[in-house]
Amino acid sequence: MLIPLVNVVPSALTKDPNSHVKDTTAAWFLFSSQRLFSDRWKPMEVTQVLLNAQSIDGAVRKNAEESLKQFQEQNLPGFLLVLSGELVNEEKPVETRKLAGLILKNALDAKDQQRKVELVQRWLLLDGNAKSQIKAGLLKTLTSPVSDARSTASQVIAKVAGIELPHKQWPELIGSLLSNVHQLPAHAKQATLETLGYLCEEVSPDVIDQDQVNKILTAVVQGMSSSEVNIDVRLAATRALYNALGFAQANFSNDMERDYLMRVVCEATQSPDVRIRQAAFECLVSISSTYYEKLAPYIQDIFNITAKAVREDEEPVALQAVEFWSSICDEEIDILEEYGGDFTGDSNIPCFYFIKQAIPALVPMLLETLLKQEEDQDQDEGAWNIAMAGGTCLGLVARTVGDDIVPLVVPFIEENITKPDWRQREAATYAFGSILEGPSPEKLIPLVNVALTFMLTALTKDPNSHVKDTTAWTLGRIFEFLHGSAVDTPIITQANCQQIITVLLQSMKDTPNVAEKACGALYFLAQGYEEVGPSSPLTPFFQEIVQSLLTVTHREDARESRLRTAAYETLNEVVRCSTEETAPLVLQLVPVITMELHNTLEGQKLSSDEKEKQSELQGLLCGCLQVIIQKLGSSESTKYAFMQYADQIMGLFLKVFACRSATVHEEAMLAIGALAYATGPDFAKYMPEFYKYLEMGLQNFEEYQVCAVTVGVVGDICRALEEKIVPYCDGIMTQLLKNLSSNQLHRSVKPPMFSCFGDIALAVGEYFEKYLMWAMSALQSAAELSTHTAGDDELIEYINTLRNGILEAYSGIFQGFKNSPKTQLLIPYAPHILQFLDGIYMEKDMDDVVMKTAIGVLGDLADTLGSHAASLIQQSVSSKDFLNECLSSEDLMIKESAEWAKLAITRAISV
Amino acid sequence: MADDSLAAHRRDPIKSSVGNVAAQRRRQNAATVGKERRESLVRAKRLCRVGAPGDGDVPFEENDMMTDEEGFLLEDQTSSAVKELKSAVAYQGKGAMQKRVNALRELRRLLSKSEFPPVEAALKAGAIPLLVQCLSFGSPDEQLLEAAWCLTNIAAGKPEETKALLPALPLLIAHLGEKSSLPVAEQCAWALGNVAGEGEELRKVLLSQGALPPLARMMLPNKGSTVRTAAWALSNLIKGPDPKAATELIKVDGVLDAILRHLRKSDEELATEVAWVVVYLSALSNFTTGVLVKSDALQPLVERLATSNSLQLLIPVLRSLGNLVAGDSHTTSTVLIPGHEITDGVVKVLVKCLKSDHRVLKKEASWVLSNIAAGSIEHKQLIYSSEAVPLLLHLLSTAPFDIRKEVAYVLGNLCVAPAAGEGKPNLIKEHLVSLVQRGCLSGFIDLVRSADIEAARLGLQFTELVLRGMPNGDGPKLVEQEDGIDAMERYQFHENEDLRNMANGLVDKYFGEDYGVNE
Repeated sequence: MLIPLVNVVPSALTKDPNSHVKDTTAAWFLFSSQRLFSDRWKPMEVTQVLLNAQSIDGAVRKNAEESLKQFQEQNLPGFLLVLSGELVNEEKPVETRKLAGLILKNALDAKDQQRKVELVQRWLLLDGNAKSQIKAGLLKTLTSPVSDARSTASQVIAKVAGIELPHKQWPELIGSLLSNVHQLPAHAKQATLETLGYLCEEVSPDVIDQDQVNKILTAVVQGMSSSEVNIDVRLAATRALYNALGFAQANFSNDMERDYLMRVVCEATQSPDVRIRQAAFECLVSISSTYYEKLAPYIQDIFNITAKAVREDEEPVALQAVEFWSSICDEEIDILEEYGGDFTGDSNIPCFYFIKQAIPALVPMLLETLLKQEEDQDQDEGAWNIAMAGGTCLGLVARTVGDDIVPLVVPFIEENITKPDWRQREAATYAFGSILEGPSPEKLIPLVNVALTFMLTALTKDPNSHVKDTTAWTLGRIFEFLHGSAVDTPIITQANCQQIITVLLQSMKDTPNVAEKACGALYFLAQGYEEVGPSSPLTPFFQEIVQSLLTVTHREDARESRLRTAAYETLNEVVRCSTEETAPLVLQLVPVITMELHNTLEGQKLSSDEKEKQSELQGLLCGCLQVIIQKLGSSESTKYAFMQYADQIMGLFLKVFACRSATVHEEAMLAIGALAYATGPDFAKYMPEFYKYLEMGLQNFEEYQVCAVTVGVVGDICRALEEKIVPYCDGIMTQLLKNLSSNQLHRSVKPPMFSCFGDIALAVGEYFEKYLMWAMSALQSAAELSTHTAGDDELIEYINTLRNGILEAYSGIFQGFKNSPKTQLLIPYAPHILQFLDGIYMEKDMDDVVMKTAIGVLGDLADTLGSHAASLIQQSVSSKDFLNECLSSEDLMIKESAEWAKLAITRAISV
Repeated sequence: MADDSLAAHRRDPIKSSVGNVAAQRRRQNAATVGKERRESLVRAKRLCRVGAPGDGDVPFEENDMMTDEEGFLLEDQTSSAVKELKSAVAYQGKGAMQKRVNALRELRRLLSKSEFPPVEAALKAGAIPLLVQCLSFGSPDEQLLEAAWCLTNIAAGKPEETKALLPALPLLIAHLGEKSSLPVAEQCAWALGNVAGEGEELRKVLLSQGALPPLARMMLPNKGSTVRTAAWALSNLIKGPDPKAATELIKVDGVLDAILRHLRKSDEELATEVAWVVVYLSALSNFTTGVLVKSDALQPLVERLATSNSLQLLIPVLRSLGNLVAGDSHTTSTVLIPGHEITDGVVKVLVKCLKSDHRVLKKEASWVLSNIAAGSIEHKQLIYSSEAVPLLLHLLSTAPFDIRKEVAYVLGNLCVAPAAGEGKPNLIKEHLVSLVQRGCLSGFIDLVRSADIEAARLGLQFTELVLRGMPNGDGPKLVEQEDGIDAMERYQFHENEDLRNMANGLVDKYFGEDYGVNE
């Protein structure tokens, strides 16, 4: 059975033919499978074919798509040339020019990473003459009187620049765009500025030298200035600046240039054209995060500008003005978090406390916005308006300044909460709900104690649904932040617990949006009792709560406002946080939920809408079963009682896999993981049937979350089955190795796949021998890649996850082989592993998790290889320092691993 | 590239639906649970050791593998077992003794159930004071045995857990005495051995409380598991680094005789534990080393090496032999005289070890040989003409680094005689020429390239011998052929001054401007 493995590795580079189909940005006709005979393409026909390709007649369209595809396959340079010729030709209809440009653009870029790389390579290898002609045509189109043609050409030019500039090709592009920008007619100037904007979006700043950046900025700023009379030009310039801001590091460090840029942007916020004002505020938002530390001299002016916009301007502009302050909050929250934590990160940006200084004026301004609610916004999931933005910003301000916000908001609440106008009552409640995260419990709890009864009454009695919605949400926020074992003075007491629950359960019968918020409140209420001990205050109400939630899930309108999801997730949380007292009641839920799942599998011949509804419900039910199984499986007595249902439930899960929906598969997989843990070795009886779905999950590259969850479940199953997993190992290992060598799979799945090697090795012990060579070589190449990190925080974080996966694999393999006669097979790999440990130690950028795992691996190596490892460890560059550093670590987990490693090494050396 | 708004930027509203966050959290939670289980599995595997000397063969009644779910239960059961014990100890009525024994047995059973005993839970529940109470004088043997057994397993835990035994130590030591029944004494010795194994601090406490003499006396009988346990506990107790305990031990009446007797006659298991005692006796104090040499301890060690094939036994025996040779020059000069039977015997068993498959034996045997080869000219000739040399030459080119280093010492020592005054050692040309002809130079040049300073120095010293001592001025050519110049030139700017001067000096002297002119 080793043979299939041999084939796996070399086949790594073959592509999965299916992966192209999903590329939605690429022109849709490039991949139809039918072939048509056709004459050689004649230039005269292009226009007609392009028109046909947009025909409403499906057959005509299909024919046209075929011809285009065929031409592209036969002669790519010719094809692209013809398209650019179409785009530049002023005689052609605008729609064919636009489509020609679009096809051209899609020949240069794609969302799919691998497809994109292919397209870039193809363009770079294309005949130089053809490329020059195409590019000339594109530039010429920028002066076209037809606006759609210009705009399309702008985008294509930016795509070409995105490919060529990093390769030092097309160096004259920026020069030729800028050379005569002043003399151009307005429409061409507008197109040139638009092109510069797109270009800055496509190309990374390090590709363009400062001299050219200066020229771009100069042209853009001139286009924005009041001396420019054409509104379209000014708009294009302002939008271009938005993209060019990232290039202006040097200019923002120079006081004069920065003053000038800021003045121009601020002036643009006063433009008579609303689009320009919006674009200018977008620039300010971008500046607030990119150049936070340079803002001090301007902040007062910006406050005045934004305040005016919030109060008086049209909503799209006002939203951006609020967004400016939200973005400043984001910055200050980040900085203050770093102040509070270790001084490790790059906290060289000081906090200017802009928000703290601004709140006396900022908070009243935000409170005003709360009164501008839209009718029925509470029932519209996609709604976003000034009131919502204002409340969101108020919440961020509260997180930034803490206690200081409370006295500024309380008078507003007091004044409005009892007013006859629902807007005032809603705004007051919303303001209260928004500031519950940030200020200290000492400051908030007295307020909450006063407000609680009032709010419970409002939730039942207020005539306005919007007010009830916000009231329920605010109760949820109270429970989320001020209720639980971490808070000293409980706000929920024996005296009011009954009333709170009664009101919440009552509200679950209200309109869907109010009921959904009431579920949310109950969710956090339950969560607060998570670590309450053997007896929970919720126990007396458990039955009633569960019954009410189940009733909600059956409401006819349960799909509105995501009510059903909220009800199931709340049920899950109530179960998860329940105590042993209610275990029998949880057990009673098993047949109920199982039956529901069974019923979803009965219905036949559903419409696509019904199918979607059904799979949503299946996902929720699988999720619910996962939580229940996990709960019951965690105690010996309940586990036994649960096992009577295991066969039936597993049967249903297998049926669920027959339906195609990624979310459902994910949820079913997770539930099966929990089931495997509860069943232990007996899970083997399900394997023959389950295995094919496991394999399918591992092969699901496109819905990579399914793949990731499946990898996790393989681990669960390994721990449940131990050596009984052996018959399935060939298949699993083959698939894992195949996945690892693929560059199509989302990178986040790779670390858990390495950990999975460890899980398998731990389960099967020395039987892992047959995979050892392949696994080790995959680990080794990943280890080499992950020793050095260079990049942003996100990359470093990923590299650390990857290292952790690799190290967990090593630990699993060593511990799996321990005490077997085959340990010597591992000896040849030891030097490389030690080198890897040396490498990451010296890199000094590992996180605590990696540190703990790494020092554990050192111990595992010594533990399993014994004296064979002794001299290698003694010779390794930094093992000793690494161990000492871990031994003196403050982190107890690291320390524990280190002490164990020390013991293992001492033992290895002393033999 | 949307046309209308550059940034379709929209943050999530603060007022959001609970469903999304909750589902996300639930999935994360599932992933975390998997991670935690992986970690606890790895932890359990790490603690599970089979056949390790000293701590492996605790007499667990049921040694069944513990599964995770039992682990959670185990802690609960342990706390209630301690509670049960508490009430049993407090109970004075009818059947009190049986009640205590039953409670103790239950606790012992839990503490022996897995490789990962619930020590922490037992300590948290307050087991120690109760167990100490159960050890009080006059208690029935069964109760003493169970209590000591519990303590043994607690002492096998983590360092702090072992320390928790401090209040129990005086009584455990007291029960070692002759008045105790053998099983009780043995169990107490076992517990104390675990405590002593923990570290120097606890060893000091045990010694100051007088644990050594009664343990030593337990070693006197001819056989039995008690003797073995006592020997094991003693080996832990005298580990040092303070040599006082070793000295004290050898002075206890009859112990030296008992050690030699066990080495000669006992079964291999007992001999193994005794040999570890000898390892520490011979490692820590010149006095004890001298006593052992004078008492002819070499003879039984050599016999064991010649006759046994048990790695567990061979390792401490060979180490003891090495310690005796290295620790006392008297051994080489007056006992291992070339021509004596014992000397031939030693060389023979060392050759046997060099041939063994086990690297520790090869390494230690080379080390012993290197110390003998450091002796007189006669000693060098003896080894040179023995079967050892071809084996050593083979090892120099094939063995792992640490063995090669030891081998290099032997071969190097064979080629030099002690210098009369300061200065460079004298060459034994015959040995040098023959060893070089048999290809040892490349092995030494390899050492020159090593990052290990000591090994590199060894390599350079031997290179110097070759450069200086090979007849007809062949040395430089040979060194050049083995890429020795390159190896030495690496030291041109080395941070170690000594090595740098040595290497540069050799290159200048032998490969300076004139080198190669005549060719």
